[in-house]
Amino acid sequence: MPDLDDASAAAGTVAAPGGVGLVAPRDFVHARPFTFQSGQSLPGFTIRYETYGQLNPARDNAILICHALSGDHHCAGRHSPDDRKPGWWDNLIGPGRAVDTNRFCVISSNCLGGCVGSTGPSSLDPATGRPYGISFPFVTIRDMVRAQKLLLDHLGVSALHAVIGGSMGGMQVLQWGIEYPGFVRRLLAMATTSREGAQAIAFNEVGRQAIMQDPAWNQGEYPKDGGPRTGLAIARMMAHITYVSDASMDRKFGRRKKAEANGDAYTFDIQFEVESYLRHQGQSFINRFDANSYLYITRALDQFDLAQAYGSLEAAFAPVQAETLVVGFTSDWLFPPEQNRTIALALLRCGKRATYAELETDLGHDSFLLESEDLYAIVRGFLEREATVEVDFNI
Amino acid sequence: MTRLVEKRTVDMQIIGDWVEPHTRVLDLGCGRGALLGYLMQSKQVTAVGVDLDFHRISACVQRGVTAYQGDMLSFMHEFPDRFFDRVICSRTVQELDRPTDVILEALRVGRTVTVGFVNHGYWKNRVDALVRGRKVRNEVYTTEWFESRPANPLTIADFEHFCVTKRIRIARRAHLAGNWRSPRHILPNLLAGYALYDLTR
Repeated sequence: MPDLDDASAAAGTVAAPGGVGLVAPRDFVHARPFTFQSGQSLPGFTIRYETYGQLNPARDNAILICHALSGDHHCAGRHSPDDRKPGWWDNLIGPGRAVDTNRFCVISSNCLGGCVGSTGPSSLDPATGRPYGISFPFVTIRDMVRAQKLLLDHLGVSALHAVIGGSMGGMQVLQWGIEYPGFVRRLLAMATTSREGAQAIAFNEVGRQAIMQDPAWNQGEYPKDGGPRTGLAIARMMAHITYVSDASMDRKFGRRKKAEANGDAYTFDIQFEVESYLRHQGQSFINRFDANSYLYITRALDQFDLAQAYGSLEAAFAPVQAETLVVGFTSDWLFPPEQNRTIALALLRCGKRATYAELETDLGHDSFLLESEDLYAIVRGFLEREATVEVDFNI
Repeated sequence: MTRLVEKRTVDMQIIGDWVEPHTRVLDLGCGRGALLGYLMQSKQVTAVGVDLDFHRISACVQRGVTAYQGDMLSFMHEFPDRFFDRVICSRTVQELDRPTDVILEALRVGRTVTVGFVNHGYWKNRVDALVRGRKVRNEVYTTEWFESRPANPLTIADFEHFCVTKRIRIARRAHLAGNWRSPRHILPNLLAGYALYDLTR
């Protein structure tokens, strides 16, 4: 049993406000066959995860964090004191932070099909001793959630206080509420959708084509440190644009030129800072992400359509028992506010408890990662409020 | 409690008396969720509020009141006929862009619509306008015109005329004196400071 309720962190020990400090990932090995929604199966799988904070004696104070397409399980703290950056949601998670690790045990897992420690297309197929490549089973959001449930069962979690996620993480949040209604009490989905729309599928397809048209992709068979690096970098460059906004890019880069551009406009070498930034995004991505995983996970996003999967959005949400908070962001043009509103409205039509809040930002889709006191306040309010209603007359 | 808070709670208590227990209630312009929080506790209603402001929605979340940030008309368009047992439009009606559309749509999605408003026909408001020649300012309307949202002040006579014109049935009315406490049945348009109505189709 993992040390989620380690004696060294006895109840009553409250960490000072701040980050979660040094953390280490762990691996959960599920050694039994797992059948995917597609009908394909694996003899077993591994899920990499991190935890911050301790489980209470009832083992029901856990909060699951679901990551987005290019994210991973490392959402808070640092792996070593020399790490340049903490986990991707470090601003939100920690002692005294909006997701308070003094109160909650935060669990963050790398999704099935990923490439940062969980079983995915770059894992070795025990049958052949070679990477699965595109013989890996097709993955859906529901498969990711079912694998996470096995992880939580293994950790002895009796109920989830909340599931939180943005973008693809938000899709998992919704799927959690549908798939395991009695297990989760609060759903917090941000910058997400109940149905991947044509524009989002279109962007995914451009990314996939960039990868698959790179000769080094080779039908998904490539060495571990090789493969379609150019294609994957271009996919990432394009996708990155969809995560930000016109206003935020212009504020960050404007038309500023690189010093080495020498004022020569008549060249295709890098001239503008935004070009250099995107190339850097592409280059750093290929060092941490697997091209086949990118294909699989974007396909999982494309397949996500709750209304189609269950007949209607209302039918999909019929089993939900949790209280839901959906947060949309005005400048998000990948999963615009309208698509977030749709989720809350359908839940309300089903008679469920659901709230929709919309933050005005100009940072685009990635706004859910925003350092915003307003966002922290609503997240904290949603997670920490007692189940009973408080009455005061402060209008 | 200040007098203002007292007035607000009186208003809540009357609406609370009218609301049936365990019903589904929508509050248009729910603010920070005070009324719905009160109804959830006193009448165990299933509540949802609508408001335009993020911070008010955030306050609702903190209070345990479910709420929707957005336009109230677009919100109601998303619901089938008679989905709510009661739609409340308390101290919002004078700030609506399209009051007729909102009230008629509320009558479609709700079995009963409760409207509460400050009566601008109340004699003190009349005297105020006549003597001071300025926008009404009092403990309810505290701001100068240039710090206020566009308002569409109405009187009890205006509202009753509206109901006749639109063939809306008034199931119940409460006219309160200037202290918003004692009932005022005689010459309400002149003598009542606050009015509450239950409307049905």
